[in-house]
Amino acid sequence: MMPSPVSTAVAVKPSATRKRLGSWLIFSAVSLYFLIPLGATFYWSLRGQKDVLGFEAYRKLFADTNFLPAFSESIVNAVATIFISLLIVVPTAYWVTLRLPKLRPVVEFITLLPFVIPGIVLVFGIIRLYSRPPLLLTATYDSSRILLICVYVALSFPYMFRSVDNGLRAIDVRTLTEAAQSLGANWTTILFKVIFPNLRVALLSGALLTFAIVIGELTIALYMAQHTLGPYMANLTRSKVYEPSAMAIVAFAITWAAMGIIDFVGRGSSKHLQMADTE
Amino acid sequence: MSYLSISHVTKQFGNTVVVDDFNLEIEKGEFVSFLGPSGCGKTTTLRMVAGFEIPTSGKILLDGADITDKAPNQRNVGMIFQSYALFPNMTVAQNIAFGLSVRKESREMITQRVDEMINLINLEKHATKYPYQLSGGQQQRVSLARALAIHPQVLLLDEPLSALDAKIRVSLRAEIRAIQKKLGITAIFVTHDQEEALSISDRIVVMNVGVMEQVGTPFEVYNFPTTVFSANFVGSLNNASAEVVNPASGFISIDGVQFESAVDLTQRKSGDKVRVAIRPERLSFASEQKKANVVDATIENITFLGSVVRIRVKIGGTKFNMDTFNNPFLDLPKIGAVEQITCSREAVLVLDE
Ligand SMILES: Nc1ncnc2c1ncn2[C@@H]1O[C@H](COP(=O)(O)OP(=O)(O)OP(=O)(O)O)[C@@H](O)[C@H]1O
Ligand SMILES: [Mg+2]
Repeated sequence: MMPSPVSTAVAVKPSATRKRLGSWLIFSAVSLYFLIPLGATFYWSLRGQKDVLGFEAYRKLFADTNFLPAFSESIVNAVATIFISLLIVVPTAYWVTLRLPKLRPVVEFITLLPFVIPGIVLVFGIIRLYSRPPLLLTATYDSSRILLICVYVALSFPYMFRSVDNGLRAIDVRTLTEAAQSLGANWTTILFKVIFPNLRVALLSGALLTFAIVIGELTIALYMAQHTLGPYMANLTRSKVYEPSAMAIVAFAITWAAMGIIDFVGRGSSKHLQMADTE
Repeated sequence: MSYLSISHVTKQFGNTVVVDDFNLEIEKGEFVSFLGPSGCGKTTTLRMVAGFEIPTSGKILLDGADITDKAPNQRNVGMIFQSYALFPNMTVAQNIAFGLSVRKESREMITQRVDEMINLINLEKHATKYPYQLSGGQQQRVSLARALAIHPQVLLLDEPLSALDAKIRVSLRAEIRAIQKKLGITAIFVTHDQEEALSISDRIVVMNVGVMEQVGTPFEVYNFPTTVFSANFVGSLNNASAEVVNPASGFISIDGVQFESAVDLTQRKSGDKVRVAIRPERLSFASEQKKANVVDATIENITFLGSVVRIRVKIGGTKFNMDTFNNPFLDLPKIGAVEQITCSREAVLVLDE
């Protein structure tokens, strides 16, 4: 029997509602999966004082003379990593898009290597290579730190390259470059006045992802005996009860703040790019 | 000496010759179109003038200076792209100002020039808008203003109208031509649309796989094509192979049907194979007093094309299109009827086979 138009219309409604309900169920389940451990950690972090809920663990954490130095060291490492990574990745990705599109898969593969090689393998390889002349970099704390930043730069490549590459694909790099050239612009002007501004969102998201990785990195920093946030937190877990939870919540808040910034800036400035793109 | 001189320019990509011995002299203020099918090297030639490609051999001189190897940003050449290529992060006014601020012009000068350009393209209301807020036609006008703001020595346009719809295309091409005349700027316009080339150019260069087929005014290129290719590419055309019957009197024969041509055939011999080309609009029904080139034709098909009615006829064994202006009182023959058809001696073009 052919259903009448009316009965179809009626039939569609409950199924649509059911679908919505289904989506909400899945969303709730996934949310709980994330939120329960987070909530538990937060709850735990509030129990620093016997029998009262409060921010004692946070106070102790910030009062610990090792925390802030480790924290600031990680932040400086992250900023240095982002800076170096941007200087390497943006011109490379730009040039590959503009002049060597055939090399793109190769570059993409190289930037993916940090995903393929486990951190623990990477760090032992690095220590073996750089712990003897002619490339002796593990001798002092500061030279090790430089080495660590270099490793972080490599670790940031997959995120940075991907973000920048996406950004470059959203604009017609070649034609914009040529338009700027014919108007008299040199390479510096093109990069800073045309390419960078149109990549703002991409650069920011690459930078913030890098930031999050460097702040939380443990394995490599640990084996290179660096006093950054990762090893500090691992140490804390071994010796303290409530502070590690407080620490986790702080790290989580920083990451979320970073995501919020991406989202905020993305909404503001990517609008004209997206619209120009969809045209 | 001419203003822009492209001499013996050849461009190879790997082993493929894309532009082969290109020679062209362009006068100051002239509007020249490159017309040809896809892949014939129009863009490549234009890009060599702009500096985005370096010729494999040959020279390009602009106002007496050799610019063959000069970087694009040292040339003072304006370029308009099919995709507009406006900077998405800048407003209309900022886009137009870009070339001037790169040249470190004073702020007053930039403001004044930008205003002037915005007036020129009639976008006063849109100065602070971003490219995505404009229509395609408006964006292309901004890109024109941006290129003209730096007072380029030559303006290069690579199919600037191809992405626009038909109405805008026609009005914008008239606008481009008017602005070009008003400013007296030298321009090269690339297109594969023959109507576009015919309607706005001072001269047309007809190109075919890397070589120049013909250079001439639209009138010359349309009425006196020198090669089969340019005859076919510019306008629609009937063409048929024929044989020279009498070189001295201009008689040729298409499939046994004799035609008389005004073209000088004295360089050819009787029996030479040639190609004959007749434009559809040059054929007409014969009136009583006509004597030359009156032939019998069978009406095969009649098509209305709006202002024109296209009649397909068969003369001997060869099919021809005949165009006649449409009017409500037109007395059209029946399909299958045999009618007398004629064309003037001048309409019968003889080209090399
Ligand atoms: N960078 C390049 N490398 C190799 N071959 C190229 C390059 N640029 C163009 N070509 C080739 O040169 C030929 C001419 O290209 P060109 O872009 O000049 O054609 P065109 O006349 O502008 O065609 P269209 O009307 O499609 O734009 C084409 O066959 C093209 O494939
Ligand atoms: Mg082209």
